[in-house]
Amino acid sequence: MKGIEEQIRATSSQLLAAGDVQMVIGYGAGSDNTRTMPVFIKRAEDVGKLVFNPFCVSNLANYLLQWNNFEGKIAIVVKGCDSRSIIRLLQDKQIEREKIIVLGVNCPGQLKSGPAEAKIPVDAVLSEATVDNAGIKLQTSSGPVTFSLEEGLLEKCRQCESSRPVISDYLFGEKGFEADRADLSFNDVAALEDEPLEEKSKYWDKYFERCLRCYACRNSCPACSCRECVFDMVEPDWVAKTVNLSDNTAFHLIRAFHVAGRCTDCGECERVCPAEIPLRVLNRKIIKDIKELFGAPMPGSDLEALPVLSFYSLDDPESQN
Amino acid sequence: MSNCQNPILPRMAFITNIIDETSDTKTFKVEFEGGGKGNFLHEPGQCAMLSIPGVGEAMISITSSPTYKDFLEFTIKRVGRLTNVIHQLEVGDQIGIRGPYGNNFPYKLLEGKDILFIAGGFALAPLRSLINYVLDDEHRKDYGKVDIIYGARSVDDLCFKRELFENWPKRQDTQIYTTIDRAEEGWDGHVAFVPTYLEELQPSPENKYALTCGPPIMIKFVLQNLQKLGYQDDHVITTLEMRMKCGIGKCGRCNIGSKYVCLDGPVFFLDQLKQLPQEY
Amino acid sequence: MVVYKKITRDNLVQFLQELTKDRILIAPVREHEIVSFSPVADAGQVDFSFQNSFVPPKSWFFPQSEQIFSFRLEEGKYELSTPSLPRGAVLFGVHPCDLKSILALDPVFDGKFDDNYYCDRRKNTIIIGLGCQSVGRNCFCFKVGGGPLESTGADIFLTPAGGDFLAEGLTDQGTDLINKHSRFFSDSSAEQIDKEKREGTDRLLKQPAGLKGDFNLQKVKAFLDANYEIPYWEELSYRCLGCGICTYLCPTCHCFDINDYARSGLEGERIRCWDSCQFKDFTLMAGGHNPRPSKKERVRNRFLHKFKYHEDRYGLFGCVGCGRCVQKCPVNIDPRKIILDLQEVAGNE
Repeated sequence: MKGIEEQIRATSSQLLAAGDVQMVIGYGAGSDNTRTMPVFIKRAEDVGKLVFNPFCVSNLANYLLQWNNFEGKIAIVVKGCDSRSIIRLLQDKQIEREKIIVLGVNCPGQLKSGPAEAKIPVDAVLSEATVDNAGIKLQTSSGPVTFSLEEGLLEKCRQCESSRPVISDYLFGEKGFEADRADLSFNDVAALEDEPLEEKSKYWDKYFERCLRCYACRNSCPACSCRECVFDMVEPDWVAKTVNLSDNTAFHLIRAFHVAGRCTDCGECERVCPAEIPLRVLNRKIIKDIKELFGAPMPGSDLEALPVLSFYSLDDPESQN
Repeated sequence: MSNCQNPILPRMAFITNIIDETSDTKTFKVEFEGGGKGNFLHEPGQCAMLSIPGVGEAMISITSSPTYKDFLEFTIKRVGRLTNVIHQLEVGDQIGIRGPYGNNFPYKLLEGKDILFIAGGFALAPLRSLINYVLDDEHRKDYGKVDIIYGARSVDDLCFKRELFENWPKRQDTQIYTTIDRAEEGWDGHVAFVPTYLEELQPSPENKYALTCGPPIMIKFVLQNLQKLGYQDDHVITTLEMRMKCGIGKCGRCNIGSKYVCLDGPVFFLDQLKQLPQEY
Repeated sequence: MVVYKKITRDNLVQFLQELTKDRILIAPVREHEIVSFSPVADAGQVDFSFQNSFVPPKSWFFPQSEQIFSFRLEEGKYELSTPSLPRGAVLFGVHPCDLKSILALDPVFDGKFDDNYYCDRRKNTIIIGLGCQSVGRNCFCFKVGGGPLESTGADIFLTPAGGDFLAEGLTDQGTDLINKHSRFFSDSSAEQIDKEKREGTDRLLKQPAGLKGDFNLQKVKAFLDANYEIPYWEELSYRCLGCGICTYLCPTCHCFDINDYARSGLEGERIRCWDSCQFKDFTLMAGGHNPRPSKKERVRNRFLHKFKYHEDRYGLFGCVGCGRCVQKCPVNIDPRKIILDLQEVAGNE
């Protein structure tokens, strides 16, 4: 892991010093052992602030939308899952290929902060975290700690299609974490599909009821690229600002359909949701449908393939009716 | 819950007269049921929340002088959904009012002083409450000379034309300087931007307070020119506008630093303004 | 008059159940992995060992969405009616940080203009505070002038002791309630409670790792008073997503929006709902001008509100150290780190 971190720093330093990029978007140390935060490095002498470890959970691609008027080139650190967002942003012409340099990382697997922090003794400092199929190992100043993948690994990592970035200009790390029992079957979605309608409704109601409409899911989403969001509009106010089950449901369903075909299952919406709403299930339902109906791969996995909901073919299912 | 004490519940009033000021600005005369202002007592410079149930609410300055005993007036420009709907109202229609809110022009402090009013376009509305207070028969003796420099883009954009051209010039020791931005047919008055006209007129700061309201760009240059003319910051007064929802210092959106414009404003002396963060 | 009592856990459940006869009981319950303050009919459901509720208990006094009035238009006249006042309530299980936050909200809603909706509920609610049984990794009440067993703001305060609780009636309302239901309580003393609190606080504060370094909020405020434009805010704003998590979960944030909804022109309602100074349309004016146009101004506004503006206006800081924003911010904008950073910047000036 230290190797990846050092390579990111060295490459960033070179790129900044040579003027090949004017900013590096990467991960920096967070306020405790098991948190990181996005950092924006503009000077070669600051590359020491860049870190890489299994707590680099956020998808930085979202920031390319924020910086799309940046004068100069940006290098950005991406994991396997994040790289699909880069592809989709390129396909939608939200970003220009020649204005970014992709620092790809063969992802070592990503961990939830809470369970890991709970394992680390008070006052101990974490020096390294590693993930393999045997479990999770934390090296701390008061000795090693181990715990299970079930306890600590992000759900999305167990359903990971590719720990290797699908696009990169530089690639760091030998081999990413590949789960032995990687679950690419969309069983979680299928299980819910099989439930009777009332049960499905109950399932979503209990979660949507507690949505705060903080819009973290939207704001963290690289597929949410509208300049003005319908949920922010005051005139006309398409969706009421009142927070209740009906308006909350409208919000989540409109958003899910709006990102259909653009959502790459990076999982940010679910990770950031303070109400712990299983938003990936909602988006994965649409991804599953897209796969089954159009035989299309996960959005963002192929730069050359036309985005499935952005073109029309005579073979499309709706053409058959 | 007793309705009379609820500060965010509007009272419904009736529109009793409507005056077309310009193509996009109207003045609405308002009275409560049974006539008059009820216990709605304001001071010059204060505002009120006007609303139409089902449409929305907005903070509007009270343009009538407190010396008008029987009604309130609001001059409203069409800028959005609510003001569009208000513009469609007719005499006899209801409108919600709550307030009065905010601080007021320091009319006591101005006693014995000359006053220079400088306004642009629709923003004469807040100053008008003080102008008519000062020019009222009962109060006129308490104040010195009154000069009003007022400009708008065109003749059509000048508000309160009757007062501007008929009533005010007739008052004792009162001078009106009207200007429009660009020459137009039928206008033989002055042509200049307000800040430029101020520079030409060179009003002395001696024993005088200057009060100015207008679009931000006008204010910027008026303040510069007042400074050049020797006006002290504690003798220059203006008003600020921010987005507001509650009007009573709770909803949190009209703060500039620690000040809430709805409670601590809208009237600020220039020296106070300079203490605030430049976030307005 | 202050009374000092003791109550077993079983009796506490019965006491709470008894209270539901006359009052609405609002208490922490765990549902689908999240603890929230909700109306409770069966006191057996109350969670006594939670660390922090998801949404702070301010939502009882200041709900996320609330009707101001409903209206009907008949023959050209509007008929407005306000929602009826809820009957008396007991708000149970408020931790010390949240108790303090209610004291920070009081002067906002009860000022020159009383906010009836907040104040009526506040007047009709008895608050039973609950001392903390653990201090979490995100907690920092003890660094901003509070503590895990601080009782200020409660009518009755419960200090966990073994499996039971020591109870203080701190206000007339609280004492009356204890006296009225004295059969659930046994005697204790000021000395016993004081000792338990002291020892308990020492024990609890050994737990957290948290962030090292002491806070000096007065020093931070003095620095902020003198320095409005510093590069720090812009750098901090880069990673901010501009979402509303921190403000919605903050127990002292009070910003709201007011909107009208009409089912037809003839009837509808006016609603107020929480709003966030982090949203870009928060200060956007009808003409298009925005006094806080970028994330820099908005992030700065939030922190200055907590560590300067609230103090300027009401004489107390707007952060009680509950740690909810620390826990939930997706990009690790951590007020503890910001305080330490600002202290460092101030030291270097």
